[in-house]
Amino acid sequence: MSATDPNRLIAGLARDGITLDLKTVDLCFLAALYLRADRAALASFEEGQLVDMFEQVLEVVEPGADSPRKRATHSIQRLREQRMMARVDGAGLVKAGEYTLTRLAAAVVEYFLADEALTRESLTLLTGTLRAQLAQILSDAKGAADDGEAWRLRVIAPLRVTVADLIQGIERRQRGLDAQQEAVQSEIAELLQADWFGAVDRCQALLDTTTSTLKELNDVLLHDAHHFVALLQDIQTTASVSGNAEAEEVAQRVIEQVDRIAAWGEGRQRSWSGYYQYVHRYLRDVVRLDPDRALSQRLRDQIGGWPGAPFFTAVAASAPIRLLRPLEARVDRPAVLRPREDRELEPSLVAPSDLFADIEHHVQAAVAGGATHLAGITAHVLAELPPEIHYPAIGRVAEVVALTLPLRTDRERPWRPLRDELEIEDWVLDQREGCS
Amino acid sequence: MSESSFESLEAVIQDASFPDTDLALRRGRHIGRDDGSYDFLVDAASHLEPFYRRFGCELVQRSDGYFYLLPSGDRLGRRHLSAAEMLVGQTLALCYLDPATLEKSGTIEREVLLQRLVGLIGQESLVRTLNPRRKRLLERVSEETVRKQVGDAVRRLADLGFVELLDDTRLRLHPALLRFADPVRDQQDPSGALARLVTEGEIVLGEPNEEEDAAADDEESAE
Repeated sequence: MSATDPNRLIAGLARDGITLDLKTVDLCFLAALYLRADRAALASFEEGQLVDMFEQVLEVVEPGADSPRKRATHSIQRLREQRMMARVDGAGLVKAGEYTLTRLAAAVVEYFLADEALTRESLTLLTGTLRAQLAQILSDAKGAADDGEAWRLRVIAPLRVTVADLIQGIERRQRGLDAQQEAVQSEIAELLQADWFGAVDRCQALLDTTTSTLKELNDVLLHDAHHFVALLQDIQTTASVSGNAEAEEVAQRVIEQVDRIAAWGEGRQRSWSGYYQYVHRYLRDVVRLDPDRALSQRLRDQIGGWPGAPFFTAVAASAPIRLLRPLEARVDRPAVLRPREDRELEPSLVAPSDLFADIEHHVQAAVAGGATHLAGITAHVLAELPPEIHYPAIGRVAEVVALTLPLRTDRERPWRPLRDELEIEDWVLDQREGCS
Repeated sequence: MSESSFESLEAVIQDASFPDTDLALRRGRHIGRDDGSYDFLVDAASHLEPFYRRFGCELVQRSDGYFYLLPSGDRLGRRHLSAAEMLVGQTLALCYLDPATLEKSGTIEREVLLQRLVGLIGQESLVRTLNPRRKRLLERVSEETVRKQVGDAVRRLADLGFVELLDDTRLRLHPALLRFADPVRDQQDPSGALARLVTEGEIVLGEPNEEEDAAADDEESAE
């Protein structure tokens, strides 16, 4: 099944009826096993070890619970059925089993155990490694020249794998910090809900800590992101000079990821700043002015009794300024008129113009001059006419020639050029028949 | 007056912020710290207070961080909020005081508003209060009227600067909502506080607007 095909993946999960149902004691059991394996470098657990561990966990989760061994058996069975635990000995019935945690179990426990929130230390470590890695890649890119294999192994692959992993590490921790901020917001609300005025100082401390963390991180991100982009642009330029489009594209993708990381810092600081100001105002205007939290209760009573004893708040309601027209008691509507004027134009003298009549005259003159080909006559006539009527005039010349003299034409009539722009089929005139 | 950066009233009026601020105040808007003209008002308040007094109204600055204009005479128009606006305003004020709203930076869902309103005064009482002239209450029609009146009230409260409409489902609550809690802010003497507010012209006691009743009558006759 392809992991990238969501339809097939979902259909497969639904077909196999995959479920996860972990009770608190199961989760604690998994966490205990994970930590034990980690500290003692154990690859697997014998069945007896599992049962002992479960009993210890149960003692913490449900002190004094009945039948711990029986519950251990059920818990191990549940974890086996949900692919959290795998048997690795392969001995079957011959002897008691040996078990290890699966990747799924490890991921579940890691989610609860690992502190994935971005801290100044983790961010500085990650950005330092990333900077060193990018500098090395840039140096390799400069040395790779036209060697395609070197580009692939020393530039493209590290950009795709190592650098992308480091950036994803930062992004993952950013998401962790987002979750931490959400938790701080909930915690502030819960603190006030529980202790109202007594919680003011703790709320203030929580706000200040988160604010300074965000500011520090944003400073580091802004500074380092600028450096990363400069290095990546150098790699991109080197790839461009070497004509390696793939490396250029990979570098561009990493630049976009770096931009996203930098934008996160700025965006979070802005939104946190809004929240910070709001909470500050709330603490000052609401909590400090009503230390007994009696106002809410009195307001609740007021709302409950309002329908029986209503009152209404006053607000200004000035109408918009009206701009009135000057008052006209009686208006004489003028009739629709049109200014009188003499629209008849005086006749004027213009020179007569009949170009097509002239064509006939020019053709007759050319024929009289002994012209024997249509092309020659047409060229002669066009020389006397303005260029804009040359095209229609050609047809007119042919018509007059055809009416004036009989023609002798071959089956294949030759094309003759006229004045560089036009070309006509040439006819030969039979001058022996004379003019009509 | 020495604290103001404006030397005179003329300088205040010449300021680019004055026309919009003045129009907003005269239309009943409450200008809070989140509004662009709040800083201008803080700076110019000492000049503007006597200026507006000449129009028979008071430029009120509250320690919760907002300004509004309160007309006391008839030179500047005034109105009283409707029953729906009052109920919605008081409920939103209660939400503003609730630490649970703090978690979402002072925003709430419209659905939560209606739920809290029903929870506070009861569905039947809410329907009766917002349909005062109706003799016969048809469940579907009267509930629809309540939803519509609450929606309209939220929109008008937004115009007045009590809340900000973020999108179709969410509202941001402003400190001006605490005006609705004024009658109960004085712990020692609540009834005295109400009388004082009536004297100051901040509130009136009595029945809802006639205009609103007329609208309800129209809807009833249209059924």
